[in-house]
Amino acid sequence: MNTLQSIVASVWDQVDMVLGWQPGYDPLHPVPAFVRDPKDIASLIWNPLCAPNLSVYLAKSFKAPTRGEKKIGILAKGCDSRSLTALIQEGLVDRNRLLIIGLPCPGTVDPDALTSVRTQSGPITDVSFADGMVQLTATDGVERVPLDQVLARRCQRCRHPHPVLYDVLLEEVVPRPVPKDPFAHVKALENQPLEARKAFWLRELERCLRCYACRNACPLCVCQDQCLAESRTPKWVTQKDTVADKFLFHMIHTLHLAGRCTECGECERVCPMKIPIGLLKEKTAHIAMDLWGYESGTDPAAQPPLLSYDASVNGL
Amino acid sequence: MRIGVFVCRCGTNIAGTVDTQAVAARALASPDVVYATELLYTCSEPGQQEIQNAVLSHRLQGVVVAACSPRMHELTFRRAVEKAGLNRYMLEMANIREHVSWIGQDKAANTEKAVELVRMAVAKVRRNEPLFGSQVPLTKRVMVIGGGVAGIQAALDCADAGLDVVLVEREPTIGGKMAKLDKTFPTIDCSSCILGPKMVDVAQNENITLHTATEVESLSGTIGNFTVTLRKKAVYVDWDACTGCGLCMEKCPSKKHPDGFNEGLATAPAIRIPFPQAIPKKAHIERSACRYFTTGKCRVCQKICPVGAVRFDMEDRQVVENVGAVIVATGYDLFDPAAYGEYGAGRYPDVITGMQFERILSASGPFGGHIRRPSDGREPRDIVFVACVGSRDKSVGRPYCSGVCCMVIAKQAILARDHLPEARCYVFYMDIRAPGKNYDEFVRRAVEEYGVQYIRGRVGKIYPKGDRLVVQGADTLLGAQVEVEADLVVLATGVEPSRGARELAEKLHISADTHGFFMEGHPKLKPVETNTAGIYLAGACQGPKDIPASVAQGSAAAAKVLALFARDSMTTDPQTAHVAEKVCIGCGKCLTVCPFGAIQWKTLRDGTKKAQVLETVCQGCGLCNATCPPKAVQLRHFTDDQILAELEALCA
Amino acid sequence: MRDEAVTITNQTESSLRIVGFLCNWCSYGGADTAGVCRFRQPPLLRIIRIPCTGRMDPMFVVKALIQGVDGVLVSGCHPKDCHYAVGNFYARRRLELVGRFLPFIGIDPRRFRYTWVSASEGQRWQQVVTEFSALIAALGPNPGFSAHVR
Repeated sequence: MNTLQSIVASVWDQVDMVLGWQPGYDPLHPVPAFVRDPKDIASLIWNPLCAPNLSVYLAKSFKAPTRGEKKIGILAKGCDSRSLTALIQEGLVDRNRLLIIGLPCPGTVDPDALTSVRTQSGPITDVSFADGMVQLTATDGVERVPLDQVLARRCQRCRHPHPVLYDVLLEEVVPRPVPKDPFAHVKALENQPLEARKAFWLRELERCLRCYACRNACPLCVCQDQCLAESRTPKWVTQKDTVADKFLFHMIHTLHLAGRCTECGECERVCPMKIPIGLLKEKTAHIAMDLWGYESGTDPAAQPPLLSYDASVNGL
Repeated sequence: MRIGVFVCRCGTNIAGTVDTQAVAARALASPDVVYATELLYTCSEPGQQEIQNAVLSHRLQGVVVAACSPRMHELTFRRAVEKAGLNRYMLEMANIREHVSWIGQDKAANTEKAVELVRMAVAKVRRNEPLFGSQVPLTKRVMVIGGGVAGIQAALDCADAGLDVVLVEREPTIGGKMAKLDKTFPTIDCSSCILGPKMVDVAQNENITLHTATEVESLSGTIGNFTVTLRKKAVYVDWDACTGCGLCMEKCPSKKHPDGFNEGLATAPAIRIPFPQAIPKKAHIERSACRYFTTGKCRVCQKICPVGAVRFDMEDRQVVENVGAVIVATGYDLFDPAAYGEYGAGRYPDVITGMQFERILSASGPFGGHIRRPSDGREPRDIVFVACVGSRDKSVGRPYCSGVCCMVIAKQAILARDHLPEARCYVFYMDIRAPGKNYDEFVRRAVEEYGVQYIRGRVGKIYPKGDRLVVQGADTLLGAQVEVEADLVVLATGVEPSRGARELAEKLHISADTHGFFMEGHPKLKPVETNTAGIYLAGACQGPKDIPASVAQGSAAAAKVLALFARDSMTTDPQTAHVAEKVCIGCGKCLTVCPFGAIQWKTLRDGTKKAQVLETVCQGCGLCNATCPPKAVQLRHFTDDQILAELEALCA
Repeated sequence: MRDEAVTITNQTESSLRIVGFLCNWCSYGGADTAGVCRFRQPPLLRIIRIPCTGRMDPMFVVKALIQGVDGVLVSGCHPKDCHYAVGNFYARRRLELVGRFLPFIGIDPRRFRYTWVSASEGQRWQQVVTEFSALIAALGPNPGFSAHVR
C-alpha cells in the first residue's frame, strides 16, 4: 500500500480531492473514499475487493468535485478507466480536470463467491492477498482460496485489465490472460431456444424491485432524477408491479446504453436480487462490435455509433 | 375533452367497402367522443360547413375526420376547423380510403380496421395541444444557383418584379450549355443570338448581383431567412479593372492547353475570356495551364495589361449572403461515352460527342464553322449519328430517356447537310421522341427535305478502316445487320445531372433521386418545388429537358418565389421541437444529431447548460426527440405521449 | 400481385395486428400510392404517421411488441433521400441494433421489419405489406408477456 499512498501524495498539489477506496463496514466491502485532507491519504487501500467504479461520482448530480479549481484525482482499474474514457467521449467530463491514477487489475472478488467457496464458517475478521491467493482470517481459523476461483463474472470476461487511459500508473503490472471468448455468457444464452430465453428473462426480471441501484451505479446513466423510467410525461413505463413494466424499464436502460456501455459490470454487482442484467448490455456491446467494430471507452475521440451515421447508400 | 368524429363516405370510394355508419356509431364508444356522424363528401363545402356547425353547436375541442389521406386534405380540414374557432392542430385524420377502402374488399375486416384507426386518431387528438406559429420577417432576396438559361430566366423574372437577386455561377461566365450550342431546334435560331441579350440583361439589371467563378459552400437557416456562404474562387484578374480587351489572350505564350469550352477540340491560352459573348466579359487564368504558376516564369500578361488587372496573388474568398429563397438551376452534364468501349470514343479522334459536333458547327468554334474531321482536318463526306449513347440503357446505369437527343441529331444532320451539300448523313435510332411544337415536323424535314437516312437499330461496334470508320449496327426494319462507312461519327450522349449535384443537394438539404437529379415536391403537381421549404428547382437539374421547358421552369420557380414574398412576413410552422428545461440534463446529444444545427446551448445563471431549440431553424424531423435520454425535448404534434397514445389505442 | 389478396378467414388471423411507423414524406406517400393504384393488401396493418424514421426511438418497437402487437413494421425514405437529409441514417443504425437485440430477450425477430419505400413505390409497398402480413399470420399471435402494460 505504500506505493499507492506515495503516488497519491506525490500528485497531491495538483488536485483538490482524490477519489479512492477505504476499509468499509466489514472486511469484505471497502467503500469509496473522498479524500480532501492529506492526512486521510493513509486510509486509502487497493486490493481485489475494491470493486466500486469511482467514475460514477463524476458526471451525476454530485457537483462538489467539479466546483474546485485544480484537478480531481481518481483511482481507476481497467474497467473504471473505460468508463472515464466513455464519459470523456460524450463530453460529460472534462479530461483536463482529471488526474487518473491507473491501477492494473488482477480482477475483483465476488464476495458471495468467496462466502460460498470457503469451508470455515466463522465471521471473517481480515482479508489479505498474496501470490494469487486470497487469505481469509476468521474467528475459527485461517484459510486460503485461489483468486481465480472467486472472481466476479465481469472479471472472468475482462478484456482490459490494464487501464486504457491514465496520467500516472501504479508500478506493479499484473499479467492477466485475455479470455478466449469474452462473450461466452451471452452466447450460452443465445444457444438456447427462443422460448427458453424468454422464460429465463421473465424468471429473472420477476425479482426486480425497480430499486434502480443498477441505474444509479452506472457511470453513464447521468439522467438521475429525470430518468425516463420514473417520468409521468412522457409516460413510457408505469409504476405497476408487473413483469412487463420491469421488462420495459430494463429495455429503456439497456437501449439507452447501447453503443455506450463499457461493460464495467457495476449494474450486475449492485443488484440486490442478483439478476444478471450485465448480460443485456454485453449483448448490445457485442452487436456494436459486430456492426461497427466499435468498443466503447477505448478511444476518447471516438463518436458513439448511435450518435453518428454512415452516409453511404448501402452502409450501416 | 369534447371530440367530434366525422366519417366520410367519399361517394362510394369509402362507403363501397367500409360500413361508414357503423364506424361513426362505434366511435361514440371512445371516451370523450361526444358527437359522431357520417358525411357524403366531407371535403366539399357543405361537408366542411357541417363540421363547423358541429364544432360550434357541440362545443367540440377536437375533431377527427376519417376519410382520405392527410397528405390530400389535412390542410383543407385544418382551415375548416380554424374558421369555426378551433386551433388547426386539434384536428387528426384517420386514413380509411387509401389505407383501407381502396386496398381490400372484405367489408367486415375493413370496417373493423376503420374503427381502430378512428380510435387511434381519437387517442392522438386527445393528447394534441393548440399550436401557434410566430410571424417572422422575410428577407426579400432570392439566390439563383446556376447561370444557364433556366437560372437566367428565373433571375430576370425575379429582378423585373423588383426583387433583389443574387445569381451564383461556378464557371467564370454565365450561359451554361446553351452558350455552347450553335443553333437550336426546331427554329434553327442561333443559340447565342437568343441567349446573348438575356445574358446582357442579367449583367445590366440593377437588381441582380452576379457572382461568377463562385460556388456554394454551405447553407443554413430556413425559408424566409437563409444564410448562404459562397466561395469566390481566385481568377487572378481584378475584374473591377479588367476591360475585356483581350490583349492578354493574344500575348500569352501558353497556347497548348486544351480548351474546355471547345470540348477539347482546340487549345486556348492560359489567360482567357471564355468566349466572345461571355458575361462578365473578363479574363481569368487557368492555373494548370499558366506558365507562371507551373514554372514561376512568365508574367507576360501582367506586363502587357494596359490597366494592370492581373493579380497573381489573388486568393479564394468567402462571401455571405442572406436570402429568403433559393432557386436551384444547376443544369446538366453529358454522359462520358468511354463507357461504350466498342464505340471507340476517346480512342478514335473522329468518333466525337454531340456537344463536340456543336462546337465544330459553331462559327466561333475550333474550325471557324467549317465541318472538318478532328484527325486530319478533311471535310467528311459520310457522317453517322448514333442515338441513345448513355440513355435508355440499364447496363450503364442510365435507364431513362434524355429527351432532347432525337431533336439534336435531327438538327445536327440538317445543319451538316447545309454546310456540306455533298455530305451523306445517317442516323442509327431506336425511337424518335419529338413531342414539342413543330418537333415531329422538324424530324420529317430532315428525312424528306434533307435526305437524312434514318436506320432503326442499335450500333454494335465502330472500328477503323484505313482512315475512315465502319459503323456496324442493326437495321431492324430490314431485319439485317448493316455496316456504314463513315468519315465522322457523332455520338448523341445522354443527359446526366451536373457534376457535384449530390454534394450540393446535401448542402441544401434537398433530395436527389437515384440518378442524381434533384427531386421535385410532387412529380405532377409540384414540378418546381422541393420538399425543403424555400428551395425551388428550375431546368435540367430536375430532369432532362429542352430549352423551352427550362425557360418555363425558370419562370415558374420565379413565380413561386414572388408568391412567397408577396407578404412581408411569414408564419412559421409550429410543428417544431421544444425543450422542457427542467428535464434537460445538458448532455448535448440533441445538439450532436440535429441535421440543421437548430439546437444551441443556453447557459443558466448558475452556470448549468441546457439545450434550446431555434424554432425558426427547426424543420420538425424529431431526431432530437428520439435521441434524448430523459425525453426533455419533444417534437410538437408528434410527442412521445401522442405516439404512445396511438399505440395504446391499438393494443386496447 | 394486383389480383392476389390474402383472404383472412381464420378467426385468429383476423385479430392479428401489425403496427406500421411510416415516415410522412416517403413511405406514407408510398402507402397512399398503393391505395390510389388499388393494390390489394391484407387488412392487418395499422399505420402511425411520423415525420421521419429519425423520429423512431427503438423503444417504440420494443414497447409495441411487449404490449402484444403481433408485428412491427417501420418504413422510411431510401438512404440518401431522407427529406431531413440524415434522419434515416440514424434510424438505420438504431433499428438494426434493436432488431438484433430482440431475440436475446426471447422475442422472435421476424416480428420486426424495417424497409425503405419511396412515395412512388406503390407496388413495392403492396409487396412489403403482403409478405410481412403473411409472415405474421404464419407466426401467429404474439405470445406476449404475462401482463399487458396499460
